[in-house]
Amino acid sequence: MSTHTYKKFEEADSGVLPDTMTIYQDCLNAFNESPVNSKRCRLLISRLLQLLAQGQTFPKTEATALFFAISKLFQHPNDSLRQAVYLAIKELSSVSEDILMATSSIMKDVQNGSDMIKPNAIRSLTRVLDESTAFSAERLFKSAVVSKHPSISSAALVSSYHLLPVAESTVKRYSNETLEAVADLKTFPYHDGLSEHYPNSTYISQYHALGLLYMLKNHDKIALMKLVQQFSSGNTLKNQLAQVQLVKLVGTLLTKDPQMISQLGPLLLGWLSNKFEAVQLEDAKLITSLPDRFVPPEMFASAVQTLQGFLAVPRVTTRFAAVRVLNRISMVAPDKIVVCNPELESLINDSNRNVSTYAITALLKTGTSNNIASLIKTITNFIHEISDDFKIIIIDAVRTMALKFPEEWKSILNFLVNVLKQGDGGFPFKNSIVEALFDLVQFVPQSKELALENLCDFIEDCEYNEILVRILHLLGKEGPSMKTPSLYVRHIYNRVVLENSIVRSAAVVALSKFALVKNDPTLVESIEILLRRISNDADDEVRDRATIALKFIESIKTGENAGPSAAENLIQSKYTYDLASLESKLSQYMAAKKDSCKTAFDTSSISRYSEDERKAIDLKRKQEQLFSSLSSGKGKSKGSASSDSEKRNSSYPGPGASELDHDLKATKYAQELGSIEQFKEFGPIINTSRDVPLTETEAEFVVTGVKHLFKEHVVLQFHITNTLTDVALDSVSVGCVPANSDAESLLNEVTTISAERIKPSETFATYVAFEKSAEVITEELLNTLYFTTRELDPATQEPFPGDEGFQDEYEIDSLPLTAGDYIKGSFIGDFSACYDELPHHEVSVYNIRENISLQEVVDKIILNTSCLTLDNTQFTSPDSNNHTLKLFGKSVLSGARVALIVRMIKSSKGIALKAEGRSDDANLCSDIVNELI
Amino acid sequence: MGNFFSSMFDRLWGVNKEMRILILGLDGAGKTTILYRLQMGEVVTTKPTIGFNVETLVYKNLKLNVWDLGGQTSIRPYWRCYYSNTAAVIFVVDSTDKDRMATASKELHMMLQEEELQDAALLVFANKQDQAGALSASEVSKQLNLVELKDRSWSIVASSAIKGDGISEGLDWLIDVVREEQL
Repeated sequence: MSTHTYKKFEEADSGVLPDTMTIYQDCLNAFNESPVNSKRCRLLISRLLQLLAQGQTFPKTEATALFFAISKLFQHPNDSLRQAVYLAIKELSSVSEDILMATSSIMKDVQNGSDMIKPNAIRSLTRVLDESTAFSAERLFKSAVVSKHPSISSAALVSSYHLLPVAESTVKRYSNETLEAVADLKTFPYHDGLSEHYPNSTYISQYHALGLLYMLKNHDKIALMKLVQQFSSGNTLKNQLAQVQLVKLVGTLLTKDPQMISQLGPLLLGWLSNKFEAVQLEDAKLITSLPDRFVPPEMFASAVQTLQGFLAVPRVTTRFAAVRVLNRISMVAPDKIVVCNPELESLINDSNRNVSTYAITALLKTGTSNNIASLIKTITNFIHEISDDFKIIIIDAVRTMALKFPEEWKSILNFLVNVLKQGDGGFPFKNSIVEALFDLVQFVPQSKELALENLCDFIEDCEYNEILVRILHLLGKEGPSMKTPSLYVRHIYNRVVLENSIVRSAAVVALSKFALVKNDPTLVESIEILLRRISNDADDEVRDRATIALKFIESIKTGENAGPSAAENLIQSKYTYDLASLESKLSQYMAAKKDSCKTAFDTSSISRYSEDERKAIDLKRKQEQLFSSLSSGKGKSKGSASSDSEKRNSSYPGPGASELDHDLKATKYAQELGSIEQFKEFGPIINTSRDVPLTETEAEFVVTGVKHLFKEHVVLQFHITNTLTDVALDSVSVGCVPANSDAESLLNEVTTISAERIKPSETFATYVAFEKSAEVITEELLNTLYFTTRELDPATQEPFPGDEGFQDEYEIDSLPLTAGDYIKGSFIGDFSACYDELPHHEVSVYNIRENISLQEVVDKIILNTSCLTLDNTQFTSPDSNNHTLKLFGKSVLSGARVALIVRMIKSSKGIALKAEGRSDDANLCSDIVNELI
Repeated sequence: MGNFFSSMFDRLWGVNKEMRILILGLDGAGKTTILYRLQMGEVVTTKPTIGFNVETLVYKNLKLNVWDLGGQTSIRPYWRCYYSNTAAVIFVVDSTDKDRMATASKELHMMLQEEELQDAALLVFANKQDQAGALSASEVSKQLNLVELKDRSWSIVASSAIKGDGISEGLDWLIDVVREEQL
């Protein structure tokens, strides 16, 4: 009988979920019973947890009812039941209201409960605490952190970590205890004869304590340094993860201040021969990701050697980790890992496909133009054996290679076409191939014709609408300017005859673009005939599009010689909108009150890109993909909590690694500024600069500045973050004084907007607006931060009443307004031809004495000029000591073009630069050439 | 057969039956101190209760399930979540806190109107008698308007949780009433 009932309860085992409402009712009934039946309640909670784990949710009122019912189980002293109760509270805390009701009961268990339930109690306690109640739990956490029991200590440490965003100041108050916990080797309490019931301690609490400590001392370089010294010596850290964490900690220190490598170098070398593989790997990863010039070549070489050794170990995870790091290095410095090529080649056939994929992509990067052909051959054989996801990684690698070695386009194109045609593979895979072909068409003009022809072939037999539509669009865009447009017309018209209505309507649009071909009147005529035929199509949309295209063509014909007409623009548009801002503007427009629809949607406030500009942005993004994969790998490894600071300090962001971010930010700024009354009359923003740090990131007040250009105004936006914990800043403003304090300064301050109060760890923006004449004005602006500090009462987080505070000022870095602020990067296919045809010419020579690498100079120039680098000149080769940088941009005010060639040579004395600039505008040209650095 | 008798006696004396008692009152009245005075017989240092404390104790052969609910304004609304199956309510008043007598009275009468508490007996502790300026039990009774209560067994006892005065007297009365009425 008993086994029977038991079975019935265990039905959950079969994978069938119990009914949500039944469980809900059963729980309420059982939990409210008196006396409590602990066994039944435990069972019900486990089923409830099962539901929640499967993603079932309860509405707020029901979750709250459950929570209160569960809280009644605190009357039962059974430990196992209590553990279940804690699990349930943890799960419900995110959906239920009024969770603070459990606080006192949980605290009592943390204090007096048995060792078995304490960890559970601590973990649920963090979920129910808020800023005000966390204060009263401080003592409990403190004693739990120093507990001799590893589980209790670990639970308290990890919970404190999660408590940080809620109540950082509370956690800070027991940082001494946390420090103690790092050094303490906690073992489970052994009783004689019972020892086999306890596992051996892994000393994991060391890792947890170190992690928490790092979060607490994140901003304090000296404290971090002390930690490293304290725990790297001797044998204090037994736990492998704790050691890995220490390596990461050194990593943060080094990204903040690479000079410290002279102190930390021996440590890094030592870790390369650590007894744990994980530590060695992490160390090698760190060494290879530091900025080049700080790492002695021998150290880099030994890191690579360590990784090389790992490529042959039997453990797949180690092999994978090593090959992944090598793959990452291959993206920036392929020549440094050429030594590993034999091992990498043997990994191509590794039984683990993840490993082999990374090996191949690394090989693709280390490849030179000589061996590309043979590599591609290898991949052709290999690519059919792996899953789509890895195929996509390989295609992406091939794609970046195509941009890197444009002269190898033939073999790359052949490869792409081959895999494209060989049937198998899902949509994402096919899409990535087509994407790669699109890149070839756009950025490698020589390949255009062949690539387009192959795409034409491909659409004859393609099952994916999305891809078909994209290809048709490309054909429509590029086809008319090719040698034999009629060829494409045939392929496109085939689609009209054979495909569904979605593809048909895309084909109609593509066809209509061929009507603009100027030198072939017969073609235009045939297009008209075709379109007329299509106007009888069965589908509305197709018919409509054909009809409207015909109307456009007609109006172009009649209005001949009148220049580019509106109709022409509609058929072959010359620009595209910035999609992100278009979307947000449109949704704003829709969300506004109904009567706003009476006025037409205004597109003038959205930035528009011409074809060239869009290409420029595209190219930039593609080149940056290399780096984004680099930094994202790093960000992930440090946990999400620190990812924010990670971004700020990431060691080598490369030129404009966050272009996409920048675009989004610019759109956001535009909205913010638009909502400020004083700036409304300035008109639309013409250009927004990057966010420039004006203080050290460890400073008490971290300030960054952004420059916004208007037609006749300049607005400086400062973001001020208060990193202090117990002081609020009142009436914060930034004073800007032009450095040339001549009477006739070209900038006149108009308004200043200050921030009323900045509480601890808050960020606010203040603004200073200047009036300027419409010309290009360059000026250095000296900035000072003015504020009143007021101490905060730790209990209320409000200033003490009656405290007047005292006024203070703080000098921050100056923010120059340079010629680069008036320039937007732009793409041009044939740089040298364009360079020669520009009228004005300017030359300037610089000498840089500091010991910095060519790459850093290049990055700085790119940042200062805001131009786009062309012909792959944004990366210097680490071996050579000279470099030529090619830049191109357009003035945001007049549209004047600027082309720059910067030659640089590095010698023992420093770096010599010779900048030659040509432009449509003589002033702009001299300004930009003379303010390069 | 022996089993049968013992369960008969248990039922008679109510050992197996758990009795639910709530301790309510404004914040700082001494509810938590009374709870632990009952359970452990000693004075513990307390912090404002965020939520509730619950303890099971055996008093005169009777198993009591005593719930001490926090009295802060933010927590009072949740008292009602714990009303069901309650045999008796102990309402604790800080006899020195003359300013908030009216508030205490309001909370008390509001609570007693709840459907679920219609059968519950009421014991009021006029607490903190050890302090100077404490109102006497009869004065507190007047301020709380206890005479208005109809159809309910109630009593008020002067107490000092710190010294332990009056606590057991009050509880004795409560147990007698509850046993008579509900068992």
